[in-house]
Amino acid sequence: MRRHLYVTLLLLISILTAACTAPAAPAGDGMGGDEKVTISYWFNPPSGGEGATCYQETVIDVFNAQSETIFVDAVAQPEAWNATRTALAAGEGPDVVRTPGPSFVFELAQAGQLLPLDDYVSSEGWDDLFVDWALSLGEVDGTIYSLADELETLVLYYNKTLFEEKGWSPPSTITELYELAAVIHADDIIPFAHANAEWRPANEWHVGEYLNHVAGPDRVYEALTGQIPWTHPDFVTSIELLNEAQQNGWFGGGLEFYYTSTFDEIRGLLGSGEAAMNIEGTWVAANLDPNYFTAENSSSGEANEWDWVPVPSQTGAAIYSIGMGNTSSINRHSAHPEAVAEFLSYNFSPEVQAQLLRDCGKAPAPVRLTDDAMEGVDPRIAGIFIDLASASDSGGYGYTTWTFWPPKSDVYIYEQIELVWAGEITPEEYLQGLDEVFQEELAAGAIPPIPDRN
Amino acid sequence: MTLSRDLTPPQVSAAPRALARGWFFRKKVVPWLFILPILLLHFIVVIVPSVQSFYYALTDWSGIGAAEFVGLANFRTLILEDTSYRSALVNNLQWLLFFLTVPFAMALIAAQILAPVKRGAMIFRTVLFIPYVLPSVINANIWKNLLSPRQGIGAQLAEAGVGGLDIAFLGRPDTALLSIAFVDNWHFWGFLMVLFLTAMQSIPKDLYDAAKIDGANRLNEFLHVTIPGILPTLAFMMMLTAIWSFLVFDYVWIMTQGGPANSSEVLGSYLYKQVFNRFEAGYASAIGLTMSLFAGAIIGMFALLRKRGWEI
Repeated sequence: MRRHLYVTLLLLISILTAACTAPAAPAGDGMGGDEKVTISYWFNPPSGGEGATCYQETVIDVFNAQSETIFVDAVAQPEAWNATRTALAAGEGPDVVRTPGPSFVFELAQAGQLLPLDDYVSSEGWDDLFVDWALSLGEVDGTIYSLADELETLVLYYNKTLFEEKGWSPPSTITELYELAAVIHADDIIPFAHANAEWRPANEWHVGEYLNHVAGPDRVYEALTGQIPWTHPDFVTSIELLNEAQQNGWFGGGLEFYYTSTFDEIRGLLGSGEAAMNIEGTWVAANLDPNYFTAENSSSGEANEWDWVPVPSQTGAAIYSIGMGNTSSINRHSAHPEAVAEFLSYNFSPEVQAQLLRDCGKAPAPVRLTDDAMEGVDPRIAGIFIDLASASDSGGYGYTTWTFWPPKSDVYIYEQIELVWAGEITPEEYLQGLDEVFQEELAAGAIPPIPDRN
Repeated sequence: MTLSRDLTPPQVSAAPRALARGWFFRKKVVPWLFILPILLLHFIVVIVPSVQSFYYALTDWSGIGAAEFVGLANFRTLILEDTSYRSALVNNLQWLLFFLTVPFAMALIAAQILAPVKRGAMIFRTVLFIPYVLPSVINANIWKNLLSPRQGIGAQLAEAGVGGLDIAFLGRPDTALLSIAFVDNWHFWGFLMVLFLTAMQSIPKDLYDAAKIDGANRLNEFLHVTIPGILPTLAFMMMLTAIWSFLVFDYVWIMTQGGPANSSEVLGSYLYKQVFNRFEAGYASAIGLTMSLFAGAIIGMFALLRKRGWEI
């Protein structure tokens, strides 16, 4: 009996010990070899497992093979950002900190969880590597904490085959766009292949585009820098026009369909010609041909063709709203910040960024790409990035909401716009509410750095 | 006397003491040692976060970095200013009303019908119980597709000439919440039915015989024998369902994320957005505390009824 008691006690002690002890680290560096420094990297797979594999093979594996001193332990996991912020709050987390945008960097930098990058900017040559305005996006209180990744913009994709059949021309002004949408709608075709069932923040793509292309990027800049309120009449006009499009049933075939259609469904309609146009980001361009503009998805048996134009604007000038898909920073608690900086230099090199675009369809970071960077890339996709680059140099750029608006204002933008569409509040009330939230965040200094107008 | 006491062999009195010590150790210490790991775990993952949550509810905290103590400001905003919180709470109350009526009625009726069934009883029970064991993410996504106005059941029926059901149930503010509740109920009511069926089988057959002799029909039997017989199970499940109604999150999040136009927003989804989208972790803690308060009020209400002699 007593022996049983002792055995039981030993068992309990061992269970307690096991429960309270963290799992032991494997000896050595594992795959990295004994001499290599290991740095951890968590990334969000761009589009499921395939994208993750592509990134791993294109960047991580190649870097690990050629570096004699650094091993990158990369983990592709959905919800990487939420996992990262939780780990950071506990003083842990990966050496390379990825966030969904500059406004998130602000929170982490304020909490002292990121390492200032100013020294590395000169030592690693990042000031030459990145385009002029891009580094400033990573600033918080005058110190650089992050590097911008995945330069995004939105354009108007259209079913070129359908347009040619019907004799329609791609619009360049808002007036032309609305006249064309009315004609398309009358022809029993969905004017815009838009939906938000899978991603409610898709609403903000449209709010942002209307603000930038109707009111104009200068007005948006003035509002983002606190010079004018969001209740300015130009913004009211923007939201009224957006609401008009929804009320006309132009988005996805009607508001109810907009709320319940998946991206696959609605993009499929664009590919088949049942929808005519789609204002969406560069992230979708590489998927159009293989997934939606296919022979199987065409009544003629031959794949339809797509093309794009800049999102029409009030004046007809081409405006490309700048967006960032991600940012990269160095964890304040990283034991090997130099190794992280070296990896980031490799990751953001023009060659790697060009290869990611070619092989994985990933939008490049705002770095100075070499002339041959676009070789092998679909000319239509290459054209978007070439035009975006020249627009960023000439000042023809606008501001995406998820990059330049602070978090609370951003959530307000995409959630409360549905109240306007439901007729529960007016565009003026919507903008009044946005202004209240925004002014609070402006006063708290939570606005990300806004690139100046040239 | 003194001498004899002094000469008492120590081992004579030591043996019972050792025995007593052994008994004490086995009966009083060992059980605690067995539950110590789970107590420690409970302390770490439940008690500590609960206390922290209470503290953070009194702060302005982004979820990252230091928290600033703001007293009851979060609660003041919640109660006096936040209309979105109020509408989410109203949705939770509608959810509560739905789940305290529809699934209970369905489960009671089905259990009453199935109780006398002997042949194939297990098949019926299994078939009705299966949705409960499927993960919510699977259920919700299946139904999201089935309810799609372009590709779902309604659209297929419309193509076959049966119109009227090709409605965007999840895309209309007036039907979204009810549609999600329908889907959640589809997975939930079978579980209730199995519980009621089990409870019904423990009711002595004599009571039904006595009722029959007294001239009771099936409805009388159900109302005056079955319901009182399963009352403890019924009341307990009502209490749990009421608590769960304030915690609902998964089905709402997967199917509509609270939309359209916030018409299906519930406290759970609203809280999630505060933390992960708006960086308002302190405010979210305050919302979480109010949810606990509602659950506590429900438990308190049932405890009070029990104290007053209700058999629940």
